[in-house]
Amino acid sequence: MSQESESLKAARLELDRRFNKTVGVASSNLCTHCGWCVDQCHYYLATKDPTISPVAKAERVRRVYKRHHDWMSQIFPFWTGAKELTEQELDEWVEIAYRNCTLCDRCMANCPLAVDTAQVLLAARGVLLAAGKAPEMLVQLADAALAREENLEFFRGFYLEQLKELETEVQDRLGSDKARIPVDVVGARMLYVPLSGAHTITPPSTVFNAVGESWTISMFEAANYATYIGDIPKAKRIAERILKEAERLKVQEIVLAECGHAYHAMRWEAPKWFGGPLPFRVRSILEVLDEYVRAGRLHLDRTSNPEAVTLHDSCNLGRKGGLFEEPRRVVRAAAEDFREMTPNRERAFCCGAGSGLVAMPEWEDMRLKAGEPKAEQVRATGAQIVIASCDNCRHQLTELSEHYGLNTQVMGLSELVVRALMPGAA
Amino acid sequence: MGAEKLLHFAEFDLQIIALSVFGILYAIKAWTMARLPMRWENAPAKGSPAAGVIYSYAATVAPWMMSSATQHWTRWLEFALYHIGAGLAILSTFTLPFAPGMMVPAVRYVFAVFVALAFLVGAIRLWRRATDPTLRVISTPDDYFSLAAVEIFFFLTVMTLAANTPGWRLAYFLVTAAFLFYVPFSKISHYVYWFFARVLMGVRYGRRGVTPRTGGAR
Repeated sequence: MSQESESLKAARLELDRRFNKTVGVASSNLCTHCGWCVDQCHYYLATKDPTISPVAKAERVRRVYKRHHDWMSQIFPFWTGAKELTEQELDEWVEIAYRNCTLCDRCMANCPLAVDTAQVLLAARGVLLAAGKAPEMLVQLADAALAREENLEFFRGFYLEQLKELETEVQDRLGSDKARIPVDVVGARMLYVPLSGAHTITPPSTVFNAVGESWTISMFEAANYATYIGDIPKAKRIAERILKEAERLKVQEIVLAECGHAYHAMRWEAPKWFGGPLPFRVRSILEVLDEYVRAGRLHLDRTSNPEAVTLHDSCNLGRKGGLFEEPRRVVRAAAEDFREMTPNRERAFCCGAGSGLVAMPEWEDMRLKAGEPKAEQVRATGAQIVIASCDNCRHQLTELSEHYGLNTQVMGLSELVVRALMPGAA
Repeated sequence: MGAEKLLHFAEFDLQIIALSVFGILYAIKAWTMARLPMRWENAPAKGSPAAGVIYSYAATVAPWMMSSATQHWTRWLEFALYHIGAGLAILSTFTLPFAPGMMVPAVRYVFAVFVALAFLVGAIRLWRRATDPTLRVISTPDDYFSLAAVEIFFFLTVMTLAANTPGWRLAYFLVTAAFLFYVPFSKISHYVYWFFARVLMGVRYGRRGVTPRTGGAR
């Protein structure tokens, strides 16, 4: 049997395996092709290309599902446009599922029938993975997270050295040589899981020291790229590293860095993978900062941030995660001039880089084009600072600022908070 | 078979046969969907799944709850008129033969006006589907046929309600029966899945505190 047919066979098996209730309902006759979703999608708004509207994208996958599950499509496929899965179809799905959709959920939220297009396209991503057609970069990023666990001792020395350097920055900012970035503290209240960049370590560490938090930093990164390719077994293993660490350190809660997909994966999806609630509370650092502000534990000087500030609702944190008011309360406490984008919260537009797109340089042109509605939203606020509590969004918004001449500075919420920290806060 | 007997057969026996087939096919559809595997949300809730489901259903009839409706309020109005008309047309298939006392002229004319409006909306929808590139690219023969079939059903409903002659009644009930046989195989059956989809979305968004929005910390 040829290599080609092997991949097709694997794809067909995976296609069936992915046919659960959510995908089944969304791939049925639920969608009436009414077109309400069309101009709710940032891709369509930016390109005006009818073939990349949500319904058009989902329909490509749905028609293959219909061929096997819909009565009419089984008998008269031409009547419903049903199709068999072919190698060519799979090749075309790569762009449809990975390049032309960020799984932002905005189409479902605005669909009169609640068609879950993102889940249909996520199923397509899983099928492509099984067929060996998932973007190599995303597969490698997921593998890298597991490689870190397997070679932890190799990374450990280098990581601890880096943390020492960052600790000095925290001490300088707080004017206290007692400030620490603690590692491997058994019995700490909180395990903080950063990303690989210093911007997700230094500002939160500064805040934790300022409020006297009992915490310890994780040896791992919060990122879970396996979720983007629909590789649940791998995503589960990536999450498991952090859970084991939390268990070993006997912490009470896991706090995730400002990262949209990491929060979505660990807070909402991981309990499904593990078959029940996790043994630890899982929160985003946004919720922790909000808690500090509301409890009066953070002493902030809003005049330190006099610039106009706007907030981008990351899809994974907001529409898929329910964190809307928490970051807003913190921004209002830390900045003088907060301006909302329109629309916002569950109606917000995706930045255009979600769901792993930011990691794929070959699709940069489309990513920047798809970010146009967001860029225009930012421009309309007249803000000089954009708060993005998701690393992918942050990267994209920085590039959008350059590409569309927005002249904005993009930063995380904890960075804004650190700028507003009153002297002698530690 | 005489004309009177044929009309009686179409109004009663045929309707019961068609409805039975329709009901069985829908039950199979619902059963098939219900037994598909599903990983339900099981993380500690931030909001209420029940409130999410209520919100989810309410969003369909409350245009201010979806930006696709607020941005295009005329389209939402079309949607509302079309479905009110469809509901009354379907109701008429029961009330005309089984509750004729209820169908006094005033009721018949009110029903006819709404179904006529739905007919007009249907014509707009057909025209839009044939001309709008974003709709044409996703349209299948079933899309056009289903819309056209509903238009015929609406037209015959209006004529039967307004004129109420044996000829219109016979055509109306024959088309209704044919319609009942076709619907489970077409996209017109979307409303069966709508009940599932709204629950799935409502549970997820409700539990996560997305809609209705839960502002505070857990």
